[in-house]
Amino acid sequence: MKLAFVTPRYSPGGVVGGAETLIRKLAVHAAAAGHEVHLLTTCALDHFSWANARPAGEEKAEGMTVHFFPVNEDRDVNTFLRVQGKIDKNQKVSREEQEQWAASSVCSRDLVNWLRREGQGFDAIMVGPYLFGITVQVARILPERVWLIPCLHDESFARLDIIADMFRSVRGHLFNAPPERALAHRLYGLPADSGHVVGMGMEPFEADPEAFAKRHGINRPYLLYCGRREAGKNTPMLLDYVDAYRKRRQSDIPLVLTGSGEYTPPETLRHDILDFGFVSETEKREAMAGAVAFIHPSTNESFGIVLLEAWLAGTPALVHAKSDVLRWQCENANAGLWFAYYPEFEAMLDVLINQPDLRKRLGENGRRHVQSTFTWEAVGQRLFSALATTQASSPPAPETQPPLSP
Amino acid sequence: MTVDVGAEGIDTAALVAEIRAEVSRKRREGVYTDARIARAERHNLMYMADSEELLRFYLNCLRDSVNVDINDFEIEDRRPGFKGKALVKIKAVIWKFLKFYTFRLWHQQNQINALMVTAVESSFQQYEKKIATLEARIAALEGRSQGGDPKGDDSQTDKKESAA
Repeated sequence: MKLAFVTPRYSPGGVVGGAETLIRKLAVHAAAAGHEVHLLTTCALDHFSWANARPAGEEKAEGMTVHFFPVNEDRDVNTFLRVQGKIDKNQKVSREEQEQWAASSVCSRDLVNWLRREGQGFDAIMVGPYLFGITVQVARILPERVWLIPCLHDESFARLDIIADMFRSVRGHLFNAPPERALAHRLYGLPADSGHVVGMGMEPFEADPEAFAKRHGINRPYLLYCGRREAGKNTPMLLDYVDAYRKRRQSDIPLVLTGSGEYTPPETLRHDILDFGFVSETEKREAMAGAVAFIHPSTNESFGIVLLEAWLAGTPALVHAKSDVLRWQCENANAGLWFAYYPEFEAMLDVLINQPDLRKRLGENGRRHVQSTFTWEAVGQRLFSALATTQASSPPAPETQPPLSP
Repeated sequence: MTVDVGAEGIDTAALVAEIRAEVSRKRREGVYTDARIARAERHNLMYMADSEELLRFYLNCLRDSVNVDINDFEIEDRRPGFKGKALVKIKAVIWKFLKFYTFRLWHQQNQINALMVTAVESSFQQYEKKIATLEARIAALEGRSQGGDPKGDDSQTDKKESAA
């Protein structure tokens, strides 16, 4: 098959979002499976400025042809931020404003024009994540060929009319987990049999559970969180919970953090947060392998890739019960526990700290689960079996909806 | 569903249910009525709001944490030797001045906090009562409606008969 994958940024060695990594990896493995793969992306690398950081053009990389197109430099950032602010605050936003928001979001006129010319030659065009102007734009050009990889979250952006239209118009949807699919069905009233759960493949690894602690002189059990530190990820709650746990249980257990983002810890926890910032993949995996538990307090995730990594490292997870996806992952793998409020967090942490045998078995469950369900072979099978199906509902004719920008 | 390979050996859903039952029991015994928990829950409150049980628990914790702590505390410094001891003395003097100037503020803040939590608790209790009353009325009306169907049918029959 001739396949196109569209993602806002492409940077194999650099730092991009989880959804962009997912799409790149799907593309790479489709190419490795013998398909002709074209990855279309922008010249941007920074997700704040979206400045064109590299020249436009195409190159062969990772077994596929990567096409770089410039982000529209005349995009109206002020309008984008104004409408985005309203959406963020759940204020009413007219359809006209929604169109303005999408048109002034990350878009590439050149990419769209290229797809207008060449798009008919592709058997399928995979595009995501859902909340970028570029995704909305591509979905409008060739809806009958577009498969959305939405990485959908339950948030105000998902409730926009233009997003609903996009979900209803494309040929198919590739989800990461059944709760994400259920959310899409709930929000957009999709046909019952639409949407395929594909997920993301993981390469197995071995990590020494003692290496990280030895290297950094940590001589006591520790808890771990990896990822962005921000209110949206619920890290302030995690800091408060760990602080309360240490006080109530008279424990000196430290919290190891990797990733980025500012935070203000409780004064009494300040000296026992071991913040390593950005670390290498090996370092992260070793940190995971040595941790008592990997704690993921976020309630708004479309898929917990980091949970899969922790399980491959043999470490159980402790997640917030309000995250349907993370809870589903833990329940499905039998490799993690989920808390709704502090007393449950405390009781579950007690169990994980005091019962090493149970902890080990949960970690082993997780590892086994990832190795059976999230191999690239299994993911590839699910992807190509999905692409072989036809959508139950008929998509509208191409470009029946207005283009986002001229 | 394509991704549904559950791992063997441990049933985490059962384990979570077991832990939750234990937590509920301990909560009833007051094990978790603790100001430190109320403070820790400040970022979790929005997720607790849709559970009456969790909200009630939070209000109990809030009652315990409502007062700003104005007591003295042990002043420490991590630096060793003379420098550390001197800094502790300096901090203790600064603290005395701070306490003198801010005591009135603390006192007023505690009064406001106490009034606020009482108001929230009262509102919660009043709404609880109102909801319970309304639920009882709805149940009674539903019961009457179910029991009254035959009567309704009878009345229809009566009408038909009279029309005939």
